[in-house]
Amino acid sequence: MSVGFIGAGQLAFALARGCTAAGRRGRGVLAAHKITASSPDTELPTVSGLRKMGVNFTVSNKDTVKSSDVLFLAVKPPIIPFILEEVGPDIEARHIVVSCAAGVPISSIEKKLSTFCPTPKVIRCMTNTPVIVREGATVYATGTHADVEDGKLLEQLMASVGFCTEVEEDLIDAVTGLSGSGPAYAFTALDALADGGVKMGLPRRLAVRLGAQALLGAAKMLLESEQHPGQLKDNVCSPGGATIHALHFLESGGFRSLLINAVEASCIRTRELQHLADQEKISPAAIKKTLLDKVKLESPSLSMASASKVSLFTNKSPSSKKN
Amino acid sequence: GKVPPSSILASAPSDKNLDAWRESGCRTTHCNLEVLQESTLVFLATKPHVLPGVLQEIRPAVGPHHVVVSLAAGVTLQTLQRLLPAGTKVLRLMPNLPCVVQAGAMVFARGGDAGDGEATLLKSLLSSCGLCEEVPESYINIHTGLSGSGVAYVYLFAEALAEGAVKMGMPGGLASRIAAQTLLGAAKMMLETGEHPAKLRGDVCTPGGTTIHALHQLEKGALRATVMNAVEVATQRARDMAKD
Repeated sequence: MSVGFIGAGQLAFALARGCTAAGRRGRGVLAAHKITASSPDTELPTVSGLRKMGVNFTVSNKDTVKSSDVLFLAVKPPIIPFILEEVGPDIEARHIVVSCAAGVPISSIEKKLSTFCPTPKVIRCMTNTPVIVREGATVYATGTHADVEDGKLLEQLMASVGFCTEVEEDLIDAVTGLSGSGPAYAFTALDALADGGVKMGLPRRLAVRLGAQALLGAAKMLLESEQHPGQLKDNVCSPGGATIHALHFLESGGFRSLLINAVEASCIRTRELQHLADQEKISPAAIKKTLLDKVKLESPSLSMASASKVSLFTNKSPSSKKN
Repeated sequence: GKVPPSSILASAPSDKNLDAWRESGCRTTHCNLEVLQESTLVFLATKPHVLPGVLQEIRPAVGPHHVVVSLAAGVTLQTLQRLLPAGTKVLRLMPNLPCVVQAGAMVFARGGDAGDGEATLLKSLLSSCGLCEEVPESYINIHTGLSGSGVAYVYLFAEALAEGAVKMGMPGGLASRIAAQTLLGAAKMMLETGEHPAKLRGDVCTPGGTTIHALHQLEKGALRATVMNAVEVATQRARDMAKD
């Protein structure tokens, strides 16, 4: 099986690294030379990383499509429609197109691709950066023409880099809020915990190491336990001891509600961005200028209404694009 | 009941409260010493500041067969033992208001000369009033903060629940009864299933449903921390009062 990544940024790098890295079982699940990644921007720091891994790197998205069975769309959500326009003609019935773009519904991808291929296999997935260390959290939803086996194939691949399960598409935005953004919440927490350690006298490196290990250990305990996290918390709190005093501070600061707010905000923003995309209103900041220029060069048939408003999903006559 | 009313003798300086006892079939007197003479198990249920005087009074009549149980808040076992003859079996009990409806929460601690027999006797007798547990004396003040005063926190919460319902259009009387039953039911589930309250809470929360939305509001209001503060403050106050 060969895998392609349209986009050679953080996500492509993380997935490629995770899939090729030797795990406890000795070998990676995928050989680097079976992976192709493409991006018009060769200056990305992740590009050299991918090359060092042994991944085939190209500036041609079409080349990636041609050499892949499973094609990951690993670009930012506003770029997706440009990509689909560009590579659509090269998508065949054999391809499994996996979109990792937050907030982009399967229906919009299928709609775009069906102008080129009658039954495109589309799977939408939401993963997170810890796939890089094979502790990712991934969910996926299968599109209209993706079979059970297609889903299982993806699941097998993603399960090699962490936890992976199938869900209904309408849950994916919530997953984005929780485990998609989750690592950022954890990094923030770890930074602060380390600060606490340093304040109380620990050297920074040690504080970071211990804080990370504490969270890692706690997460592992929870995953391997039948018990409710509330119970596990109680088990750590001896009466009148240090921990319960500390927890009281957390509660006073509304720790729990902050976390709930964060997950909610991320989920809502994901939906908002999707809605913006649907309305065909994209902020210029969302699209890097260089990329926009590049796409203009390669796809002259796409019309740019104005600098601030980009028409994304308008169905231009495909006759000029088809071979 | 565990004890026939005729086996109970209550004393008080005036008849003010004694009528109620007599109506239940208990015997009454104005003489504290008589209670010591007629009874083996003696409860000291005076206000704390009155107790030392009472102890002085009854001390001559206290013997090795007596089991003395003090209900006075803030009066330590050490104080009780000091004011009573050496070797007296003394215990200290802290109940809470719902004992009245046999759903109380009580803790007791024993003095140096009170043995397993006395503890078992007290526990089995009081179990008819609710939950009764033996604890180290240091837990008694915590019990005050948690459950003695805690009953008031629950009333406050119940009132607020009902007010929320009234705001949404339900008549007050009905809202109040449902609020009380909700608390009763939830408490009963906790006691009977033995499950962690966090798990029971999760069981009620359907994804994206009403409950999780409401809980988010409670978390935003830092309800947990506020309740912890309440228990802490009440416990500390009990400790401070005991020193006076």
